[in-house]
This record gives sequence, structure tokens and C-alpha cells, in this order.
Amino acid sequence: MNVWLQITDTAGAVLVFLGAAICLLGVVGMVKLPDVLSRSHAATKPQTLGLLLVLAGVALRLRSGMDLATLVLIGFFQLMTSPVAAHLVARSAYRTGQVERGELLFDDLDAQLSEPRREPGPAREPDTGPERD
Amino acid sequence: MSGPETVDRVLMTAAVVFVVVAGALLLFRISRGPSMLDRAIALDVFAAVVIAGLGAKSAFARDPFYFPIMLVLAFLGFTGSVGIARFIAVRDKPLPRRKPAGKEESK
Repeated sequence: MNVWLQITDTAGAVLVFLGAAICLLGVVGMVKLPDVLSRSHAATKPQTLGLLLVLAGVALRLRSGMDLATLVLIGFFQLMTSPVAAHLVARSAYRTGQVERGELLFDDLDAQLSEPRREPGPAREPDTGPERD
Repeated sequence: MSGPETVDRVLMTAAVVFVVVAGALLLFRISRGPSMLDRAIALDVFAAVVIAGLGAKSAFARDPFYFPIMLVLAFLGFTGSVGIARFIAVRDKPLPRRKPAGKEESK
């Protein structure tokens, strides 16, 4: 029985190590990537995966009911709040013009945002809809 | 008995070292991010790295003392970057990376 507890401890330590390594990889990507959107790409996913691995490792090493519930709550709140921050940062980056639009393969937000700009041609008459300004 | 515990200690010490190095690199990114949005992303990641470091410490000591702090950081760590992205980055003009063709749209 003690052997299984030791195996669980070592598995928890390995999970903590892997989570910390994935966090470090995400941060290295954040330092080296050149753009706001690519930095956000490098930030969010390794951060969430590494944090969940660390929490799983802590749960394997502590093995108590209350601590397990708290760790599940920590992971749940991280999963809830991380996309909100990433979405708002990317939206603000697009709207303040810090995104290289020529390098994007798909730009679905452009058709949503720049519709009343009417610079490429008279695709539709501009004075039918209520303009914003 | 002593062998696997030594392996555990080595693994978690390496994890703590990784987290500290990640925090140092994030401070570098916060100090010279070109715009405020890079700093906002780095701040968000920094909260997660602090949570991971506290988790590594808790796994090292088998101590659930810092779990409420981790919970509060996971719950409120995103508000700083949301505030920056919502209110500060709008009036922040780092450098014009593209031509201001779409500036006619009103804020």
C-alpha cells in the first residue's frame, strides 16, 4: 500500500514538473514572438494547460477532499476568466490598429467593423442604414 | 524509501526554478513591451505563473495554506488586464504599425 502512495507522490511531482515546464515554454514564446496576437496565442494556452497540470500534481500529492475541491475551483475559475481577458485584449488590439492586417489569412472582423467605411467601391448605397457618426 | 523521495524533491525544485525563470522573463516583457496590451497579456500570464509557483510550493511542503490565495488570484487575476485593454489601451498610441486608413470610424 505504501508503494502505491509513493507512486502517487512521484506522479504528482512529475505533473508539477511538466506543468512548470509548459509555463516556462509559454513565457519563452511570449518573449520571442513579435506581435500582440501571437503573444496572446503563446500566452493563453500554455498558461492554462501548465496551470492545470500543476494543480493536478498538487491534488495527487495532497489527496484530501477539501484541498481537492479547492484545486478544482481554482482550475475552474482559471478556465472561466482566461478567455475573457484574452478576448478583450485581442479585441482592443484589433480596434486600436496594432494588428498587421496584411499578414492575416482570415479577417472576418474586418467585414464586421469596416462596413460603413465604403472605400473599395459602391457595393451598397451608403445612406440607407443609420450611420454611427 | 529514500530514492523516490529524492526524485520528488529534485523534480519539484526544478519546477520552482522553472517558475522563477518564467517570472523573470515576464518581468522583462512587462518592462519593455511595446504597447500596453503586451503588458496586459504579460500581467495575465504573471498571475497564472504566481498561481503555479504557489502550487509548486504547496506540493513541495504538502501544505494547503496558500490555496485561498491561489483561488483569489485565479478569480481576480484577469481584472487588471481587462481594465488595461478596456480603458488604457484605447488612448495609448505606441507606434503606427499600419497606415491609418480606418481612422474615420468613430470611437
